[in-house]
Amino acid sequence: MSLKRINKELSDLGRDPPSSCSAGPVGDDLYHWQASIMGPPDSPYAGGVFFLSIHFPTDYPFKPPKISFQTKIYHPNINSNGNICLDILKDQWSPALTISKVLLSICSLLTDANPDDPLVPEIAHIYKTDRAKYEATAKEWTKKFAI
Amino acid sequence: MSETIKVTIKSSGDKKYEVSLSPSSTIAEVKEQLAGETEIPADRQRLIYSGKVLKDAETVAAYKIQDGHTIHLVKGAAKSGSAGPESTAASSGQPGANSDTSIPQNIAAGQGAFNPLAGLTGARYAGLNVPMPSMESLGFGADGMQLPDESQMEQMMENPMFQESMRAMLSDPQMLDFLIQQSPQLSAMGPAAREMLQSEYFRNMLTNPQMMRSMMQMQRGMGGPSAPAFPAPGGASTEAGNSTSTTNAGGSGTGSGSGSGSGSTTGSAAAANPFAALLGGNMGAGLGGLGALGGFPGFAAPADNRPPEEVFEVQLRQLNDMGFFDFDSNVRALRRSGGSVEGAIEALLNGNI
Repeated sequence: MSLKRINKELSDLGRDPPSSCSAGPVGDDLYHWQASIMGPPDSPYAGGVFFLSIHFPTDYPFKPPKISFQTKIYHPNINSNGNICLDILKDQWSPALTISKVLLSICSLLTDANPDDPLVPEIAHIYKTDRAKYEATAKEWTKKFAI
Repeated sequence: MSETIKVTIKSSGDKKYEVSLSPSSTIAEVKEQLAGETEIPADRQRLIYSGKVLKDAETVAAYKIQDGHTIHLVKGAAKSGSAGPESTAASSGQPGANSDTSIPQNIAAGQGAFNPLAGLTGARYAGLNVPMPSMESLGFGADGMQLPDESQMEQMMENPMFQESMRAMLSDPQMLDFLIQQSPQLSAMGPAAREMLQSEYFRNMLTNPQMMRSMMQMQRGMGGPSAPAFPAPGGASTEAGNSTSTTNAGGSGTGSGSGSGSGSTTGSAAAANPFAALLGGNMGAGLGGLGALGGFPGFAAPADNRPPEEVFEVQLRQLNDMGFFDFDSNVRALRRSGGSVEGAIEALLNGNI
């Protein structure tokens, strides 16, 4: 069941991927994927390419995939281990969602962070109080780790 | 092979190009081909397919690129085409160095050998940019370190940003786990270590300038004539630093011993030093400085000799309520997670307990 669904997503992604994301299996194991997200042009992450790892649970799509950043990123909702604080990856997951949609959500999270539900309170604090500094640091990290 | 495949190249700004590729051509050749159409020089192109960056030496066939599929093209800095996640991970040891490159590098280098997470945790706090006195002004010179001047230290302590970040650090369970794991003394203490670090008392101590000042004076007094300043952070300093700190700590045992070790060894002896090892960059230096203030005299963490059902009473009850009835596994899981129910559940569910 899960394999069939994963295969379908894979072929959809190959044919018509979203313009800013790309994903596919790492090796022969269809339950382990990697993905890359291009930093949205209207964000401090512009120009960067961020890699993510995706693990599908065996009961996918009834359980959400585990997605984490492999590339370091300075963001209030993404911590240093690459964990992402995004509701649809947790309690708001729905089997109707696909990897493509989730990656797009992550893209929009990059453009519009959610400092009111932060994973890294320090960055959220700077985001709220000194936006210019946040953008400068995010740009610097992007340059360092993602370009 | 003579047959070609058609792929779509998606570039930034929603530009699309249809190109025909021969499966046997290399990625380098594809980039040359694209350079003409896209006006992006080949060495600035990064091609991404199926989540992977395509490497110049491989062929189109090797990546199983299929007819009708899409490849993403990103314009990057020259000669970055092969930079994958591995290389970013390798370079990630230094993010703490964003403002002051020379000193944090030493710390990171010292940690690297035994602590793969050092770069990550360092990076997390690198962005804080807590305004702190520079390393030099604190007396962490290359040729040895003196205790910082009291007024400077006090200034630092009174800075609300600094206090806030100390608090944030100590209230972060991940950070605590890491801290405890990192230090043999702390992990030997089991859940008591966590309690100690989380306790209001410990935090207040770290953020109370007066308390720190009085400790600093005490430390100086106890240093005695033979040790007017801290030893140079060279190879031998581990031992020297540790012996001083144990004397300072007096009978207070493991908990305070590890705390005091941290300050005196900031520069190089990260292995003996849980705090400095933990925090790259400025934060590390700042905390190390705090550690140097003294062994937190009088603060003795209770040795944990109680039976597990007593230590983990609350947690065990919670686990039972959630349907985990195996006492032995529960205790093992709780031990491993340092008393965190959440961590224990994760371990129990993963079945590796």
